Amino acid sequence: MAEHRLLFSKSGRARYISHLDLMRTFQRAFFRAGIPIKHTEGFNPHAFVSIALPLSVGYSSECELLEFGLLDGVREEEVPARMNAALPEGIVIHECYKALRPIKALTHLNYIITFDYETGVPDGAETALKELLSRESLVVTKKSKKAKSGFTEVDLIPLIKSWTVEGRRDTLVADVVLAAQNPGLNPELIRAAFCEEFPQFAPGFVSFHRRETLDGDGKVFR
Amino acid sequence: MNRTLERILPKVQKPARYTGGEYNAVVKDKDRVDTRFALCFPDTYEIGMSNLGCRILYGLMNEQEGLWCERVYAPWGDMEAEMRKEGILLYGLESGDPIADFDIIGFSLGYEMAYTNVLNMLDLAGLPLRAADRKDLAPLVVAGGTCCYNPEPLAPFVDFFVLGEGEEVTLEYIELYKKARDEEWTKAELLREAAKIPGIYVPSLYDVTYNVDGTVAAITPLDGVPATVTKRVVEDMTQSYFPAKTIIPSTEIVHDRVMLELFRGCIRGCRFCQAGYAYRPVRCRDAKKLGELGREACLDSGYQEITLSSLSSTDYPGLVDLCDDLLDFCQPRNISLSLPSMRADTFSMNLMERLQKVRKGGLTFAPEAGTQRLRDAINKNLKEEDLLQSVRTAFSGGWNGVKLYFMLGLPTETDEDVLGIADLARKVYFAWKECAPNKARGVRITVSTSWFVPKPHTAFQWEAQIPVEEYQRRVNLLRDALKRDKSITYNWHDPETSYMEAIFSRGDRRLADVLEWAWEHGAKFDSWSEYFDFQRWMDALAACGLDGDFYAHRVREKDEVFPWSVPSVGVSREFLWRERELCYASQTTPDCRTRCSGCGANKFLEGGVCNG
Repeated sequence: MAEHRLLFSKSGRARYISHLDLMRTFQRAFFRAGIPIKHTEGFNPHAFVSIALPLSVGYSSECELLEFGLLDGVREEEVPARMNAALPEGIVIHECYKALRPIKALTHLNYIITFDYETGVPDGAETALKELLSRESLVVTKKSKKAKSGFTEVDLIPLIKSWTVEGRRDTLVADVVLAAQNPGLNPELIRAAFCEEFPQFAPGFVSFHRRETLDGDGKVFR
Repeated sequence: MNRTLERILPKVQKPARYTGGEYNAVVKDKDRVDTRFALCFPDTYEIGMSNLGCRILYGLMNEQEGLWCERVYAPWGDMEAEMRKEGILLYGLESGDPIADFDIIGFSLGYEMAYTNVLNMLDLAGLPLRAADRKDLAPLVVAGGTCCYNPEPLAPFVDFFVLGEGEEVTLEYIELYKKARDEEWTKAELLREAAKIPGIYVPSLYDVTYNVDGTVAAITPLDGVPATVTKRVVEDMTQSYFPAKTIIPSTEIVHDRVMLELFRGCIRGCRFCQAGYAYRPVRCRDAKKLGELGREACLDSGYQEITLSSLSSTDYPGLVDLCDDLLDFCQPRNISLSLPSMRADTFSMNLMERLQKVRKGGLTFAPEAGTQRLRDAINKNLKEEDLLQSVRTAFSGGWNGVKLYFMLGLPTETDEDVLGIADLARKVYFAWKECAPNKARGVRITVSTSWFVPKPHTAFQWEAQIPVEEYQRRVNLLRDALKRDKSITYNWHDPETSYMEAIFSRGDRRLADVLEWAWEHGAKFDSWSEYFDFQRWMDALAACGLDGDFYAHRVREKDEVFPWSVPSVGVSREFLWRERELCYASQTTPDCRTRCSGCGANKFLEGGVCNG
């Protein structure tokens, strides 16, 4: 069913569209754009779309992947322009192509985490973040739907493949490559761990940007 | 996007409600705009975005060069708290600019329980609540919608009310405002001129005096303004503006589908129904035009459902043909048709087949009363046999659930009428047993009752709402009668909201203080159980020295001066009184197509004949 993929970005006002709402938005946008796509079968058929690795509400991204099945009559190259005319502000299609590799080969995600300090980055914050990420192990408790207690423990370090931290005047920018799935790591947990370990360096605001999808060799996944 | 806003949005529920940027949202170049309009809906985004009237006005205004209309909804409590904490003023969704800097702020008033949100939104905008305290020309605060047929509780807060359909009058008063602004009139000068536009009611230009017993003694027009202000109507629905291209929200709303408006008005004349009187006369949109609009709206929106909307859609002449026309387009595209308002006596096999072709929804009928005698008295004009025939048709066609809506406390209601509801529900159950092709699936019959609220400009505007103890007794009576019927579920409305509705729908200007007191003590979103606090309203009434029962539970004299004497829906008071007398004689009035009953609304149409 999912023979095709769209590479799209989500930014600006569109960051606040939730995963489910985004799927609905795409189903309608295909229809508006007059691009026929495959439907699910069964009692209540609907346009099939699937977005790999749901992005948290509020995050921006330049590497989202949507899977769908393009029906005959529309060429892949004309899809981006036609879809862009039918999509809300902030969602931009960059590419439409045939899916060659399975999504499970998408093993890592590159995120940019920006810690914002309105009055300047406090002394020691950069070192503290680097120290945190350099540890052998960093076990945190996170909410879990499966665990009976509602919480489960997870060690962040094995899920962080690589990182760099750069201190600027008002921001601390972490460029991280995290495990994407089975299990994946939500970069929010890095923020939470930092704020818990170093409450004195808790930033005013943190923004998250998904920059690239990667495979096991660290190459770009499409 | 504003940086502060960016920081608070991740903290609130459903932030997509506060961002704008949806498909078809209109963003204009500020340098090419001289007039900014904030179209405010005093409820959540999900509810406000579902309002067709607002979509019409939004589209219509934004077609004008130099005019930019933006949307504003009431922020939910979490967002309001963040906005107040961070000092963010209420803003237009399209530009993010504070609406206090706009030229005109227009509220859509469809429900009395949203009044406190009007006050809260003015406050969030950073504006004084009372019109008299807003000395400048801008922002002008206006309001439209069905509540404006008795807007008295909001009179001190709003500069003027717009009565009736807004397609034409909106542009007229905006023109006047621009003239006033360019020629530097005072606000008083503008209001005096606005009162000359038909359909515009400027409450500050009427002086209200009261009798010792609390009733209105007189309403005196000042400065030569008219003694009555009659609503505006659009004569030709086929030619009138329809928003086929409209905003498609990026998050789910209540009515998330194409809304195709078949006609305005209703031929039926149910005596309790304000909409039935207020939207007269009936004006249909041409079927061919509707087919075109429906197709255009689907193609532009990407919606997979069209609802054929009106006060009573099965009364549209040629409905089946219209459905067929639309289905030719819809079926291959998996688009379904639905009807929100179906009369129980007009549901046919023909229609059923067309509605369920793509998807099968639930079925709801509103007999309103349990016995033929009472249905005649309220002029529902629904025969029991017709209802039963409709449900037989539905059950035979595979439906296995029906919802039945009734009101308790209608004028002349007796215990026999209340128990009649249980009898009717049982007959519907037997109809299922008789007709259902597959009984193994069971049946769900839901009976819901609400507490009747008498509304202004209806035949029952003189009536008392029954006391709460009596309402509760009738609920218990019906509940006991239905106790043993396992297939019938009985739901009833909580009485507290209905009591407040009864107070405000026929209230006078003195209630403005009650509203303000309640708002100061935290009232907002009163139509939401999360926020509604009945005790707060009782305290508000007490603090202002007013008695709620005076408004809700009092029978009015025939010639009493009503607080809503200035606004006119074009239906004469004599006609309404006649209808009330026919109710007490349990006599019906034929529908407008069968015979004209001389209500007075025909004068809105050229030639004075309603075409229905």
